[in-house]
Amino acid sequence: MQYLEFKISCDEHYREILIAELAEVGFDSFLETDEGFDAYIPEDSFDRNNYTQVIAQYADVADLSVVESKMDKVNWNEEWEKHYDPITVGDQVYVRASFHNPRTEFPYEIQINPKMSFGTGHHATTFLMLSHQLGIDHRGKRVLDIGSGTGILAIMAHKLGAASIEAFDIDEWCVENGNENFDLNGMSAVRMGKGTVREVNPQGLFDIVLANINKNVLLDEMEVYSHLVKEGGFLLLSGFYEHDVEDIAERALAVGFVEKAIETKDQWAALVMEKV
Amino acid sequence: MAKEITGYVKLQVKGGQANPSPPIGPALGSKGLNIMEFCKQFNARTQDKMGQVLPVLITVFSDKSFEFVVKTPPAANLLLDAAKIKGGSAEPNRKKVGSVTWDQVRDIAQVKMPDLNAFKVESAMKMIAGTARSMGITVSGKAPWEE
Repeated sequence: MQYLEFKISCDEHYREILIAELAEVGFDSFLETDEGFDAYIPEDSFDRNNYTQVIAQYADVADLSVVESKMDKVNWNEEWEKHYDPITVGDQVYVRASFHNPRTEFPYEIQINPKMSFGTGHHATTFLMLSHQLGIDHRGKRVLDIGSGTGILAIMAHKLGAASIEAFDIDEWCVENGNENFDLNGMSAVRMGKGTVREVNPQGLFDIVLANINKNVLLDEMEVYSHLVKEGGFLLLSGFYEHDVEDIAERALAVGFVEKAIETKDQWAALVMEKV
Repeated sequence: MAKEITGYVKLQVKGGQANPSPPIGPALGSKGLNIMEFCKQFNARTQDKMGQVLPVLITVFSDKSFEFVVKTPPAANLLLDAAKIKGGSAEPNRKKVGSVTWDQVRDIAQVKMPDLNAFKVESAMKMIAGTARSMGITVSGKAPWEE
């Protein structure tokens, strides 16, 4: 996917107004600069008529000048990904990139080359989900990973002996990266799908459903999850702060789950719910 | 010892919708920060302001760590919402495209107070009214201090 970049210089007084108006015509994020600001939009959602109207409107009064160019989507996170340290979850799990040395003393080793996808184990929510997974018997189980990112939780499920795994993410970049990571971890038979849980519409019941997303999405999709987890099965949730646990748990209880476990780290939380 | 600050990044991002695309990706990635970490944190912190454009000031430290502060939504966005219009006027002095009341200006001023260099709400209201004028939005009625 290509992005259009507009480097806009303008009278400072009008910067905020222009950003507000461009946000109304599809631009969703802006970088403030000394001269004005840079605005970006995916090429396929750009409406040139609307954009031109906004720019024409303020051209004189805001002393505007614009330089437009195209940018390819590349791995912007490459710099960080070159140098990060591997992580461990207790004495059980070692998550590393290909450039880190293996460590055989850990029963479970996961290789992740993240390429701008979420889930290296560094974030508290990933760490907590891995930690919860260690406490659940995955052997022979059917597992679903929703909002899979790098695929790290699905890979953990595979290492813990899951019989079948399905995983998907809304981001095209994650789908590609997830499949690369599946290949690295001996899971070439599993292919990551693309879409939300409603779009992918997984069929049948699962023993374990994993969802490390965010509060709004979890609240919105909780009822869908309740139809995917079999009785006695587990729903593992994260991506929210400790102060949001009550809202998440309440919603899960309302659709047929009971709370089994909670862990917190750096103000983030992860819940294990059981379907009753 | 305090960590050394190596730079700042000023962005405006819609609440709950940060992703590694430009400008977040290139702006943070070029400084060696973990973009995914920022997006996860920003989206969780702004989940109650989904879709509102929010200014965010990111402080970058020498060890590639960062902190960020999410500010109040820009007055211009709040004015467009209050006036229920999509855009301002091409000729703000001659052609008016919408109006707000002084009560609405006061509400916006109160939202913006934490980020404005104003000690009194009246001063903040004057700033908001000035932005409204620049957009061709009239403030109807008399200002409270004129009554």
